[in-house]
Amino acid sequence: MPKLVEKRTVDMQIIGDWVEPRTRVLDLGCGRGTLLGYLAQTKEVAGIGVDLDFHRITACVQRGVTAYQGDMLAFMREFPDRFFDRVICSRTVQELDDPTAVILEALRVGRTLTVGFVNHGFWKNRLATLFRGRKLRNQVYTTEWFESRPANPVTIADFEHFCAAKGIRIARRAHLAGNWRSPRRLCPNLLAGYALYDLTR
Amino acid sequence: MPDLDDVPAGAPAVADPGSVGVVASRDFVHAAPFTFQSGQSLPGFTLRYETYGELNAARDNAILICHALSGDHHCAGRHATDDRKPGWWDNLIGPGKAVDTRRFFVICSNCLGGCVGSTGPSSVNPATGRPYGIAFPFVTIRDMVRAQKLLLDHLGVATLHAAIGGSMGGMQVLQWGIEYPGFVRRLLAMATTSREGAQAIAFNEVGRQAIMQDPAWNQGDYVREAGPRTGLAIARMMAHITYVSDASMDRKFGRRKKGTANGDAYTFDIQFEVESYLRHQGQSFINRFDANSYLYITRALDQFDLAHAYGSVETAFAPVQAETLVVGFTSDWLFPPEQNRAIVHALLRAGKRATYAELATDLGHDSFLLESEDLYALVRSFLEREAAVLVDFSI
Repeated sequence: MPKLVEKRTVDMQIIGDWVEPRTRVLDLGCGRGTLLGYLAQTKEVAGIGVDLDFHRITACVQRGVTAYQGDMLAFMREFPDRFFDRVICSRTVQELDDPTAVILEALRVGRTLTVGFVNHGFWKNRLATLFRGRKLRNQVYTTEWFESRPANPVTIADFEHFCAAKGIRIARRAHLAGNWRSPRRLCPNLLAGYALYDLTR
Repeated sequence: MPDLDDVPAGAPAVADPGSVGVVASRDFVHAAPFTFQSGQSLPGFTLRYETYGELNAARDNAILICHALSGDHHCAGRHATDDRKPGWWDNLIGPGKAVDTRRFFVICSNCLGGCVGSTGPSSVNPATGRPYGIAFPFVTIRDMVRAQKLLLDHLGVATLHAAIGGSMGGMQVLQWGIEYPGFVRRLLAMATTSREGAQAIAFNEVGRQAIMQDPAWNQGDYVREAGPRTGLAIARMMAHITYVSDASMDRKFGRRKKGTANGDAYTFDIQFEVESYLRHQGQSFINRFDANSYLYITRALDQFDLAHAYGSVETAFAPVQAETLVVGFTSDWLFPPEQNRAIVHALLRAGKRATYAELATDLGHDSFLLESEDLYALVRSFLEREAAVLVDFSI
């Protein structure tokens, strides 16, 4: 299995562990519906994904995942408070135009918000930037700066600071080592490659 | 609303393996009283329809196609090998196409109140021996759907694999999911709305006024050949503009002058190609459409408001069991993307399975008839995927 696919699988498994069976799940930036398809199979969730791209919506339809083509913030505004049991923002948060608005809105329409992101504070990422002096490129971030969407290099420390400042409660966290497999509890901002959070208000 | 006059003429059906070939229309006669939503009734009615493909042994592979305001039951194939144009959705329906007639039994009927073989205001009232005219009962989208259900029962269809339609056809599709929730498994609605808005009603009213102000309309009492042809042609010219877009019209005609124009700008004769085109649209429409049907069907569109009819859109969608796919088109200004999105919002709020996809086109409302591999792939995925992940969204 290629490393990236393996990492993706780990990501899915952890989120899958956190998701309660037979609940209503919203996936922001659902892509081709891989995660929701997996959650539908393993947890029988009633899922809806949001994405901007027509072809990704077609891919969702193909695998039986319901999806919505459009802006995630505008979409969430159509729903009453706590309509979804869980909103998932997996490897999306770093690309959002207005992350504060999206996270706060997700915490309104969802009972729980799951956020997963690559930790740019991970020591390898720090060293890569220090020694190469170039935009971070690795198995996950494969593209040059000019061929990728703008992305915020968010770190674990940044994210937890944000949650504290906004009064968002961290209900659960998972910090994973560089292999995205073994837990890394000590000095996560330096030693963890990937971070997952369950947030509530 | 399908623009029958714009369907490109293709090769004869015999040479096209993707075509359903030569097809014939049939008539379904419902010989029992039918009461309309208005409370008015008819002693019976006829629906003209076509079918393509075969109904399977389980009688569950049927797909109903619902046509738009000016469309009819002839949506695929040709009536004769030398027909210039195939049915209005021939690009979507046929062997191996997105709606695959090797797999599905496809049915399309001319709507109740129509004028292409189905009972409508131009049909003869047995009580008077003359056309009903405006004595015909007021028709609603729900009446059209209830009549279609009687046809499907007659054809022995046990359940519908899908109901598909654009524009007014999309309204019927939504109504199908509400009216017969256990009967239809997939709803595919394009370029449509759950509530005819003020702008769309306004356009319809201008069309109706053009007809009703034509002295030949005569309170709806006319013989088909001598009806309000001027009024109906103007109604069609105006409506046609609402089916396309600024960009598509400008690309097609620009400011090009008609070849025969003599260069004198100071006349009211046809100068621009777009004028000539619209006049042609109007003229060809009056030869195939009845003015009273136009009044009745546009009124049915105006009356369509699920929120008003059921208290709220969510309440309207409460009984829906089918999975829904709504497709909007960016340049559609008759039923704009927001109105298509709103359908999906309401379905999801009602706890239903619904997907929204949007195609970027500049062809306006008629985009749903577009020859687009992207659209075909989406439709095929929606129709052919094996059983949906069966989870009740309303937990």
